[in-house]
Parts: sequence; structure tokens; C-alpha cells
Amino acid sequence: MRFRFCGDLDCPDWVLAEISVLAKISSVKLKLICAQVLRELLGEAIDYEKILKLTSDAKLESGDVKATIAVLDFIFSSAAKHNVDGESLSSELQQLGLPKEHATGLCRSYEEKQSSLQESLRACSLRLSQLDSVSWRVDYTLSSSELRDVGEPLVHLLLRTRDRGGSVAAVPMAVSADKFRVLLSELKQAQALMKTLL
Amino acid sequence: MLLVLSEEQKGHLGCLPRVGGAAVGELGRLAVELLRRGAAPRACETAARKLNTGVDTIQHGVEGLMYLLTESSKLMISEIDFQDSIRVLGFSEELNKLLLQLYLDNRKEIRSILTELAPKLPSYHSLEWRLDVQLASRSLRQQIKPAVTMKLHLNQNEDQTAQVLQTDPSTLVHLIQQLEQALGEMKTNHCRRIARNMK
Repeated sequence: MRFRFCGDLDCPDWVLAEISVLAKISSVKLKLICAQVLRELLGEAIDYEKILKLTSDAKLESGDVKATIAVLDFIFSSAAKHNVDGESLSSELQQLGLPKEHATGLCRSYEEKQSSLQESLRACSLRLSQLDSVSWRVDYTLSSSELRDVGEPLVHLLLRTRDRGGSVAAVPMAVSADKFRVLLSELKQAQALMKTLL
Repeated sequence: MLLVLSEEQKGHLGCLPRVGGAAVGELGRLAVELLRRGAAPRACETAARKLNTGVDTIQHGVEGLMYLLTESSKLMISEIDFQDSIRVLGFSEELNKLLLQLYLDNRKEIRSILTELAPKLPSYHSLEWRLDVQLASRSLRQQIKPAVTMKLHLNQNEDQTAQVLQTDPSTLVHLIQQLEQALGEMKTNHCRRIARNMK
């Protein structure tokens, strides 16, 4: 059976198994657990103690609690990844055996946070490195050991790039006036192209 | 297969009959701890004080015992071979039995520790990918060139490295076909026969 929230593929076996565990928790408590899992997906720390308290009624073992968090994590991030709306997610989860109340509560929490989830997923997509800052300085060369009267402007550029790990690398360069003009016009053309796409 | 001990190791183990049966058990425990967690000089000092011998003697004894246990576990020698190997040290029957018991009790654990010491190749950790379309470049405008960029995260002895790769979709399809063929090899009769015989 193909499910949209699994990307039009079969639902993984472990998800099927854990949905039956989810049904053991009351729907109100499940909605609170969903709120915690969503907070973690959006980058804040997860309050494991709170989740343990919420699941204590259903008498789940510690392995089951972790599995519950894992399956909710999968459902939310997978549904956001494939851009599934709340209604379809609810009906698909009910097909998998989740009771109606639980599915509705879960999907309501999902719908509230869907766009922020997608934003944060977009931000952590693969990206090689990004430009952190640019600093420049214009000098005027008066003379050098080769030629007495040089009289030429010179641009010093310092590009700082930041890679995934957070470390910043500095790329310094000195550009003569003509080369700088070429660089600037090419970059302006690229910017015009990007504007047409936005 | 008999274990061959050098003169130095025989000298190290020579302290064992002097310390007595219970102490041998204690030294054996220290030797296994040494394997599990590395050197513990303080524990050796406490043992030396308790048994009224020099710290060096205890240290050598523990190391000798550790060598005996690791070599026997590595070669997986049978009880008879182990007994014959230690008979050459000239210990009492009781001590021999104690050492044999120590060997048999700890063999499995020592073997599992030893498997982790084998050299490992970098192993797969995760794969991130991205699908891009190149629309224009400095030299050519109005292009449509799809490309898949991948970042392969590898693990080697707790070191994380990442490799960035880029490919066009047709090469990616070829790559997938090759990998599926490789997986399919497991289902051929040849591989099945070998797998069955290994069990």
C-alpha cells in the first residue's frame, strides 16, 4: 500500500508496529507529546522528563517511550518533506490503524507547525558553504620597485565563507581596476538572472 | 596447539605460586580489567600492599597473566592444550586448575574485546543529497543542466569525514543499477551455497 506521507512508498514495518503503541496513550496526552516532538524538530531542546511523565499512565517501557518519540519524529518530518496536508495525513494514519481521535489531534498539531517545519528543513538542506561577510578597501599605488610612477587604484577584497561545521575561512584577494570592473559586471548579470527567477 | 612462553614471561608468572590461590583470583580479575579498560596503576598498588609484595612484581604478574589469557583466547586453544602449556611453568595442580578456570570463564569476553581491535575501513554514516538545475553560467546563458550533489558522511574509529560528490542524473541511474546488481548477487545459487555452508 502506498502512502503519500512516506513518499508514495510502503510504510516501514517499524512505523506500523509503533502505531499500535501510540494507540495505548490517551489522545490528550498524545497531543502534548506531539507538541514536545515538534519543538525538538524546530531546534529547541526536548524535555524528556515531561514525556516520561506523560507516558507513565500508559505504562510504557523505556524502549517504548523512545520508539514513540522516534515514530512521531518520522511522521512529522516525512509529512513535511513530502508536503502532505493535515487531512490526508489524518486519513492515512487512520488507515494504518491509529484511532480517529489520536489522528485528528496529531494532525492538528502538525498543521499548526507545518510551514515552520518546512522552513527549518529547508535551512538544513545540503549546502556546501555560504558567504559570511565581504570587506573591501581601495588603495592607490603611488610607485613600486619596478616603476617610479604607478598611480593605479587597487581593490583589496576579503571574502569570509562559513562551512557547515561553523568554521569561517577567509579568502583575501587584490584586484586591479579593470579586473574589478569585469567582476562587477558579471556579478550584476548573475544578479539580474536571479531576479527573474524569484 | 601449544602456547610457547618466553623466559621473561615465565619469570613474570613465577610470582604466582608465591602469592597463593585467592590472590591469583584477584590478579586474574586485574588482568581482565586491564584488557577492558587499560592500565590501572592504583589497583596494582593496592593489591601489592595487600599481598606484601613489590608493585613491580604484581604489575609483571598481571601483565604475564594478561598475555597468557589473550594468547589462549586468540588461538582458541582447547583445555588440554592450555593445561599442557602451563604445565611447563611447574605450578601446583591447584594453581593450574585455577588458571584453567580463569581462562574458560573469560574466554568469550576477551574474544569480543579482541574483535574490536581489528583494523576497520571507513563505514557509512549518512548521505545528504540535493537536486539542482544549472540555468546559466558566465560563458553560456539559457541552459538546463540538472545535477545531483551528494555529501557522503563516513565514520572511521570515531572520526567523521565527509566527501562531496556531484553527478548528473544518468550517471546516478547507472550507479543505482550497479548497486542493485551487487545486491542481487546475494540471491544467486553460488552465494546461497556459501552462506548456507558458513552457518
